[in-house]
Amino acid sequence: MTDQLDEALSREYEAGFVSDVESRTFDPGIDESVIRRISAMKEEPEWMLDWRLKAFEMWKTMPEPDWAHIDYADIDFQAISYYSAPKSMDDRPKSLDEVDPELLRTYEKLGIPLVEQQQLAGIAVDVVFDSVSVVTTFREKLKEKGVIFCPISDAIKEYPELVQKYLGTVVSQKDNFFAALNCAVFTDGSFVYIPKGTRCPMELSTYFRINELNTGQFERTLIIADEGSYVSYLEGCTAPQRDENQLHAAVVELVCLDNAEIKYSTVQNWYPGDENGVGGIYNFVTKRGICHDNAKISWTQVETGSAVTWKYPSCVLKGDNSVGEFYSVALTRGAQQADTGTKMIHLGKNTKSTIISKGISAGKSNNSYRGLVHMGKGSSGARNFTQCDSLLIGDKCGAHTFPYVESRNPTAIVEHEATTSKVSDDQMFLCQQRGLDPEKAVSMIVNGFCKEVFKELPMEFAVEAGKLLEISLEGSVG
Amino acid sequence: MSSWLAQAIDSAEKIEDWLSPKRAISLAKLKETPWPGRKTEAWKYTPINAIERAQLSEKTGTAAKASEIDNLNSIDLVFVDGLFSEEASTSELPEGLTISSLQHAQSWALESFNQTKPSKHFFGLVNDVLATQGCIIDVAANTTIEQPIRITNSFSEGAQAHTRAIVRIGESSKLTVIEQLEGDLASLNTFFAEYQISEKAHLEHYRLALQSGKALSVGGCHFNLNQASTLDSSLIGYGSQLSRVDMDVIHSAEHSNAKLNVIYLLDGKELFDLHSAIEHTKPNGVSEQNVRCIAADRANAIFNGRIHIHRDAQKILAQMNNRNLLMSPNAQINTKPELEIYADDVRCAHGATIAEIDEEAMFYLQSRGVSRSEAQIMLSFAFINELVDQMKNDAVAQWLRPMLRERFAQMEIR
Repeated sequence: MTDQLDEALSREYEAGFVSDVESRTFDPGIDESVIRRISAMKEEPEWMLDWRLKAFEMWKTMPEPDWAHIDYADIDFQAISYYSAPKSMDDRPKSLDEVDPELLRTYEKLGIPLVEQQQLAGIAVDVVFDSVSVVTTFREKLKEKGVIFCPISDAIKEYPELVQKYLGTVVSQKDNFFAALNCAVFTDGSFVYIPKGTRCPMELSTYFRINELNTGQFERTLIIADEGSYVSYLEGCTAPQRDENQLHAAVVELVCLDNAEIKYSTVQNWYPGDENGVGGIYNFVTKRGICHDNAKISWTQVETGSAVTWKYPSCVLKGDNSVGEFYSVALTRGAQQADTGTKMIHLGKNTKSTIISKGISAGKSNNSYRGLVHMGKGSSGARNFTQCDSLLIGDKCGAHTFPYVESRNPTAIVEHEATTSKVSDDQMFLCQQRGLDPEKAVSMIVNGFCKEVFKELPMEFAVEAGKLLEISLEGSVG
Repeated sequence: MSSWLAQAIDSAEKIEDWLSPKRAISLAKLKETPWPGRKTEAWKYTPINAIERAQLSEKTGTAAKASEIDNLNSIDLVFVDGLFSEEASTSELPEGLTISSLQHAQSWALESFNQTKPSKHFFGLVNDVLATQGCIIDVAANTTIEQPIRITNSFSEGAQAHTRAIVRIGESSKLTVIEQLEGDLASLNTFFAEYQISEKAHLEHYRLALQSGKALSVGGCHFNLNQASTLDSSLIGYGSQLSRVDMDVIHSAEHSNAKLNVIYLLDGKELFDLHSAIEHTKPNGVSEQNVRCIAADRANAIFNGRIHIHRDAQKILAQMNNRNLLMSPNAQINTKPELEIYADDVRCAHGATIAEIDEEAMFYLQSRGVSRSEAQIMLSFAFINELVDQMKNDAVAQWLRPMLRERFAQMEIR
């Protein structure tokens, strides 16, 4: 059985190829001129440049956070290139037919067909390749409904009043070290605006891919759901297999106005590095949403990739009766390290939050849940339920839980529970006794372990997530 | 650096005794540790600037003795303002028990000093370098000491006291120790106790941290569990301006078993902070921790409980249960039950809840003619009574019950 475990752990990263796309990449290093160049390249208005420079000033004074349960080599921020774009982007394609076929092939290899199948599935996709958004499908069709779905660099030019009003209101420039860096150098990302009372007619989705060597990806996503609207947004990501670590420091801001609902799902499959911890993506991500009255934000994440994950999708439940949800499956294997969780900040009356976190550690990996539930003074009648379960596969890995619970209001109710266990011999025995081989049995047990989270994912993603877990875990019987 | 700390370091440098080699290590460490503030993880919710502001002086032992516990029949070790009071203490000791002052050198005690208390505790380091008073307790092998040992600490206004207890329980022996801290006057004390529990030995431990009001109290108790040894510990805490207890339970051999029950009841502007760590370094250990807290008025209750299962410490059963009652809109509860696990074949769980007294239970009692205030006292008592019932020492439990009831009544009035 150990053989099977080894086999499972040494399984190769399927999205690890490099695409031969000609690119224009900045020389490594960061200073004011780099930020000016990025801003000029994007033809940004003056206020945007000022905003970036202000963030850069703040970033320079901030210390890199060291509180997370992760251990990684120091990042040399001067060795990273802060901008890389496929060359053929200089005259941006108007339609899919004009997109560099090499790019299209890249996405086909990843199983993200941008053409027909996607239309059948009815999902609008924004594709971000290295630093720029390559193509956004269904833009026109969405526009008919008043939905804006475009690269954020376009939004800055086309809808400056919306961007200016909301950018940085949820994750400010000085929020944290990596967010500040992102504010200064972000290159692209998605922008979504759902008008009042509109139910977005299709799922919106973004795929991120890091291709160039020694580049960092800093994308920024801003989603605004106006009063009474609804949107479901999916995010996926991959990167080539390289020996160097690459930095990914994204920021996602969600603004959920009165009675609106945002459902944000992520399947994160950045290159995790090899089993000895060489290479892989450093994933330092800040994601946060703000809920106004009766609004609801639901984060669902399946984290299987990245050498280091540092990610805490959060909800600020500012409005009365607002709801925050967090469903997470984090799988680490090899030498991966994940420190992930959520923050639920209850400020309004009768706010509710649910946290379901499932951590699976295998190999020599470390998997931590870190969360905060804060019941503010005004959170009368608020309610939180948290459940964190960890599953250990093998005796070289670690599973950790660091939940912070703070209550300032007696009528608020907080419940937190956490368990740690392994795939039990009894479960294995039962499955095998019914004729399942050990491989299938583990896969089934793990799937069952994650079921509460998977059922929150949109169908296409649930299938992808299930497959991802299977690839990583097949046969890994402890 | 804080001026208080500068002064402490200054006086520590003058201390010269048999513990000096150990003190020097701690002093070096203390000098390079920054003064804990809001950004220091272990002091995130617990401000300590009151120490800075406190008017402290050397005291000669004028404080009133700590209160008696009826029917306890204990061996008393009385410390007043951090000074050992020989006349108030018990001098006759049963066979197999040796107690000596911290001023008398003992080689095993030197070895044992700081063996269980980790150097991460800031005020532990302060105690290391400043504690010249205290006791060394040694129980021979195969001895059951029927009489509990009671170490009492009381303080007068402005006193500053640093005391230390080093305890060793021999193989297959049994001992009960009650640590009692009392007083509500503005004073500062650090009291740290270290326990070596040998093979198959058993320790029944109570820490009655009953200081209140303006008292500044930072201390700890640290246990090292050897092969098949057991620990049964109960901590009762009232809050004060600053009350902090650091607790470490180290399972350093197999088949050890630890049970930790904690109750703290806070009122007024009181603060109580418990940081506990349970370290399972070897397989087949069991630990169970129950923490119950009630915070009323403007109190601040802090709990940071950690269970750490080391690599290859398989077959561990560890449970932590933390329940909190928040009684007032101005009180706060901050809790963080942590798990850090590096072995796969273990069963670990923790749970934490925060809520107010169940309104339905209140309604039920009131519908039976019980007044609202009496109902609240009853339900508060019910919340913690389970843990009082589990105390093995009847005298302590008997003594506590009316006191706790009175405390609940006070909480209710506001």
